[in-house]
Order: sequence, then structure tokens, then C-alpha cells
Amino acid sequence: MLTFYLLQRTYLDFDIMSEPAQKYRDKEIVNALINKIKQLTNKIGHKIKIMHVCGTHEHDVVKAGLRSLLPKEIDLIAGPGCPVCVSSAQDVDEVLWIADNYNSTITTFGDMMRVPGSKESLYQAQGRGVDVRVVYGVSDAIKIAEETPEKDLLFFSVGFETTSCVTAAEVIRTNLPNFSIYSSHKVIPPAMELLLQREDIEFQGYLAPGHVSTIIGIKPYVFIPEKYNFPVAIAGFEPVDILMGILSLVKQIDEETPIVDNTYGRWVKHEGNTAALRTMDEAYIVSDARWRGLGVFPMTGHEISDKYAHIDAKKKYDIPELAAVDLQSGCICDEILIGKSKPHQCKLFNKACRPDHPIGACMVSHEGTCNVAATYEEIKWE
Amino acid sequence: MCLAIPGLVCELISEKRVMVDITGVKREADTSLLDEALEVGDYVLVHTGFIISKLDPEQAKEDLKLWEEILSS
Ligand code: SF4
Repeated sequence: MLTFYLLQRTYLDFDIMSEPAQKYRDKEIVNALINKIKQLTNKIGHKIKIMHVCGTHEHDVVKAGLRSLLPKEIDLIAGPGCPVCVSSAQDVDEVLWIADNYNSTITTFGDMMRVPGSKESLYQAQGRGVDVRVVYGVSDAIKIAEETPEKDLLFFSVGFETTSCVTAAEVIRTNLPNFSIYSSHKVIPPAMELLLQREDIEFQGYLAPGHVSTIIGIKPYVFIPEKYNFPVAIAGFEPVDILMGILSLVKQIDEETPIVDNTYGRWVKHEGNTAALRTMDEAYIVSDARWRGLGVFPMTGHEISDKYAHIDAKKKYDIPELAAVDLQSGCICDEILIGKSKPHQCKLFNKACRPDHPIGACMVSHEGTCNVAATYEEIKWE
Repeated sequence: MCLAIPGLVCELISEKRVMVDITGVKREADTSLLDEALEVGDYVLVHTGFIISKLDPEQAKEDLKLWEEILSS
């Protein structure tokens, strides 16, 4: 029976390298992977906590109901993987200060609209007349700026390397007097190191983000096994991809051989995306960055380099020091973001704070841990 | 937010632009962030209008081999 199944599979698979592919959702393979993971966790015999640092992972893990399929010994926790959630209130405040003082139009990603500033979100500011527009990406913002030369326009750019490399491409080639970029970019590997140094959170493996890794490649993670003797598996987003990553981590834990295992090799090259890396090197400098509720983390941000000061909103406008409040009373986003607490441990969860009425940033984006928890009950597979 | 969507290159428009078929919907994408050359029929990942990666078919085949190992063990 199995032989027949395998023959059939091999035959079917020869005509495609296709993406998105049903095969990465194949129930048979999902079950086989779960069994493998179970065998190994039984052998290991203790609880294993795995942290992912990618909002898309959280979204897709919950959507596919993977937590309920995994053995109970495995606790898959969400780290600071949602760039919208980690952006500080001060960034929202500063962007609104520019809009208020220079009558600028703000453009940004839809997810940023409801992220709380100290006093208001962009969405609330829109209600009092600030011109805020949602765009698909930086290129659309530039198009609007070209079409309305009489208007001062700013693009509020957030994101990890996947997104910030796209902004970098435009930093280099755009020169419009009425257009600038406010950069709130974050760099993920150094943030992963800071979490490893904290004593208040304990976990045994990192599931590294597939799409960030298409840009940065393997090298930026290598210090994690080398310096911390800690396993890393780069994983994609379909159920089979995620389970492949988890299986790799469990294997590494069992064999005590931590490495950076690339289980998303069809998209992630060892050296990453060389053109994107060059572009980011040209456009940015690595800088300290503010993470919501967590303070300033050294060398975890990307600011626009002095060479492109003409497009940097932080240099174009003389922004005063503003006192910012990251967490509204009762919100524990700071603990959610580092996997120290889970959404239901917040007393506002699904009560005062809901997807239609977010109080903290983790409830805003589709990838925010609180939003995902409130939106999906973890689906159980039959 | 870091979600990138896979699609199939279906037309080369100019040096820096191609048309990508994303589950039946065609969209133009910028290739400025890619060193490799593209051809019609390549699978790519698109993020906010830019192509950020090209599928390595050899590696995709490796995936299949690995699965067969897992299924048969
Ligand atoms: S439920 Fe709301 S208030 Fe509580 S931690 Fe999450 S985002 Fe913050």
C-alpha cells in the first residue's frame, strides 16, 4: 500500500515545482511529521519550548491548528515577530507631529492605522482631519507624491528586512522635494540575541522567519549556535514547512548538535538575496531602535544613511522631544512580545481590548499575537 | 507583514519589470532587488510589488526526497 502511495506521489510530483502547492499542506506528510516529532519528544522526555519570531508564523500556525496536532510536550511560543506590534508609540507620535506642524499627508501600511500612539492612532487622527492614506507599499506612496507636487507627503515605513529592503530600493532612486520616509525598521537577529540573554524567558530553540531569511540568508544567525550553543531552524509557512522546522529543532535538541538548519531551501539561499543586501547597505545604517514597551535595543534598527538625508523625515523636520507612552494601563504587550505571557493572561483580552477595539499594538495587526488569539479558535483537524 | 506571496513569471515587460501571475491574478512586479535573471515560467516571491526571491527547483526536489524518506521510515 505504502509503495503504491509513494509511486503515485513521485509520479504526481514530477510535473511541478509549483508554489503555492497543495503538497505543502499534504495531510499524509503532516501526519508523518507529527509522528516523527512525537517519537523524538518521547525520547527526549521533557518539555520543549520553541520560539518563533514571525507574525506570519503565528498566524499560519493558528490557522492550520498546528498547536493541537503537536505533542503536548512542545510549547510553541510567539516572540517579537510582528513589526507593527513592536513599533513604539513614539514613532506614531512623531509622524503625527510632522503631519500637524507641516500639514503633511501620511502614507503607510494598513496595519499601522490602528497602532496606538501615546494619545491617538493614525486612524483616530484621520477622524480629526489629518490626511492619512493606506498604501500597498512605498512605491504607491511615491506615485501619490509625484501626482500631487503641491502636497508634502511622508511614508511611515515599518518592517523587518523583508519590507525594509523594498523601502531601501526607493531611498536610493527617489528624489522628490515633497516626499520623505520616516523609518521605523527593525533588524531581527540582534533582537534574537537580546532575548537569549534575558533570564526571565527560557526556551530551547528558535524557529527563524522564512521570508526575512530570503533576504538575510544564513550567516546572520550563525552566532546563535556558535556563541549560545542554541538551535535554529529557518522555516516556511505552509503546515509541512513549519513542521519541518520544528522537527529539525527537536532533532537538534535530541542530538545536542545545534546549527542553523535551512528547511526553507527552495526560497532561502545560503547567502540570502545579494541584491537586496547591497541595497540595504547602501541606503541604511544599523542603529539603535525603540521596541514597544521594551525600551531601546542597541543595533536593532535601520535608519536612512546620511548620504540620503534628503529623503529622511527625521532629518527633514525638526522633531522635538516628545514624551511617549507605549503601554496603556493594563496592557502587557511588552510581555506578549517576548513570549513571557500569553494573550489570555492579560485582563483586558477579549474584554476591553478586542480586534475591533484594540488597546495595545498586539491586538492590531492580523499578525499580532493577541489579534490572532482573539480571531481564531485553534482549529482542530478531524 | 513580512508575508511574501509566490507567483509565476508570465511575461517580461522591461529590464526591471515583469508580470507575475499570483493564483490567477496578474500583477506587475519590480525586479530591482534580484541579481538573478528571470525567465517566463520561474516561480518568484513577491513582497509589496518587488520580487524578493526566485524558487530553486533543485531544492524543491530535495524537499520531495526528504518527505519520501520520512514517509518510508
Ligand atoms: S489583549 Fe490588548 S491590552 Fe492586553 S496585551 Fe494584548 S494588546 Fe495589550
